[in-house]
Amino acid sequence: MDLITLAEVSGSLSAVGYGLAAIGPGIGVGIIFGKAIESTARQPELGGRIQTLMWLGFGLVEFLALLGFIGGFIFR
Amino acid sequence: MTGALSLATAASTLADFEVPSIDDFLPDAFVFQGTPFAINRIVMVRLIATVVLLLVFGITAKRAKLIPGRWQGAVEWLLEFVRNNIVYEVMGSERGRRYVPMITTIFMTILVFNICGIIPGMNIAATATIMMPVFFALWTFVQYWIAACKGKGLGKFLKDELLPAGVPIPVYVILAPMQLIDIVLIRPASLAIRLFANMMAGHLIVALCFSATQFFLIEAHNALAAFGVVTFAFGFVMTLFEAFVAALQAFIFATLSCVYINLSYPEED
Amino acid sequence: METLAETQGIDLFLPKTFDIFWSAVILVIVAIFFYKFFLPKFQSIFDERAAKIEGGIAKAEQAQKEADAAKEKYESQLSNARVEAAKIRDDARAEASHIIADARSRAESEAAQVTANAQRSIASQQQQALVSLKGEVGVIATALAGKILGAKLQDADVQSSMIDSLIDDIDKDQAA
Repeated sequence: MDLITLAEVSGSLSAVGYGLAAIGPGIGVGIIFGKAIESTARQPELGGRIQTLMWLGFGLVEFLALLGFIGGFIFR
Repeated sequence: MTGALSLATAASTLADFEVPSIDDFLPDAFVFQGTPFAINRIVMVRLIATVVLLLVFGITAKRAKLIPGRWQGAVEWLLEFVRNNIVYEVMGSERGRRYVPMITTIFMTILVFNICGIIPGMNIAATATIMMPVFFALWTFVQYWIAACKGKGLGKFLKDELLPAGVPIPVYVILAPMQLIDIVLIRPASLAIRLFANMMAGHLIVALCFSATQFFLIEAHNALAAFGVVTFAFGFVMTLFEAFVAALQAFIFATLSCVYINLSYPEED
Repeated sequence: METLAETQGIDLFLPKTFDIFWSAVILVIVAIFFYKFFLPKFQSIFDERAAKIEGGIAKAEQAQKEADAAKEKYESQLSNARVEAAKIRDDARAEASHIIADARSRAESEAAQVTANAQRSIASQQQQALVSLKGEVGVIATALAGKILGAKLQDADVQSSMIDSLIDDIDKDQAA
């Protein structure tokens, strides 16, 4: 370690990157499922439709996490 | 070889710690190397899983009786679960009827292939190369475009997807390309990558736990044996979790396929 | 951490020809298996079971109906039998009273006959007694008169004339 480098990170930075990338989708997926449960509890007769929309939104948000996953492998 | 042995005897150096890597998912072919028919470890697992699937379900169907036994009852429960809780729940029984065979095939196959990941001796999911999930996703992709052409008509489908009603006009500039990418690329890609990534991550976690257990219990000093017990327990729990994830991913794949196909049809009410 | 560097991560997502080949083949095999054999088989089993259950329900209904009919029949028979029994009892009672009346009337008529016979025989015996009395009274009276009159009446002529006049007197008395 020379004088200029004060701290050094060894290992794969992409793991850290994926960890960061997973935060947003994690929160998003949590909100989606929570809200879906909430709205189904409020209006159970719309349960089927809400569930469809929930899975749709889940698919979109999950894709961000998956992008992070792929990104970790691509940009190394 | 001798170098490896001396390293092993020297022990307790972190260099010995076999970290599972993505090489597990790119094993060398051992038959027909270099040809399009090359078979590596994962393809072999997939072939075995296919044979087992065909045999088990084939015999079940062959021996299927009016009054179901325990095993037949379980299989029937699975079939009814796919039909009622996945297809009919999303699409309704009228529209969903023609998609029941497709979704059942996808669900059952993915389930069996995923379960391979925790079967001792196989230890890797048969869906853990990119092309298997991609083919499932392509099937869904083709089905929802066909459904779009037949159900709404292609123009109406594109208009509904790209230019949804109730959005301020300037937003369309951003929205339309995003939606286009969504229906053309993101939907099938996310289906495929989600399944693949889950299987991969599950395998890596379980393999990491057990190789750490081996390192702590056998190759490291006795002082570290306690860590080995902890990592073994964690690996055991993760194996159970993998079984859950295997079923969950099959369910999510089937449900999302239904949702995407259903979006190609006009609104029911 | 050497191994990670050896293979590029992106390789995971780049399809290889053999992977494409085996994935496609297996997907086609599995799809054909499910579409052509597995699902139709189970569909037919489900249909058959539904038909059986419906048939069973129909059969049970039929049986229930039959049981109801049998019960109704049995009950009607029972009530018929009851009515008949009551009728028979009434008949028997009527006949019994009839018989009693009959017997009574017969007994009465018999009794009357017996009484009549007895009266008739009494009457005839009385007549007989009267006739024989009439004859004997004459003889006794003659004997008595003879004893009273003694020898006076030895003469047969006197005797007969006396008796005749006596009887005439009696007749006269009776006539008067």
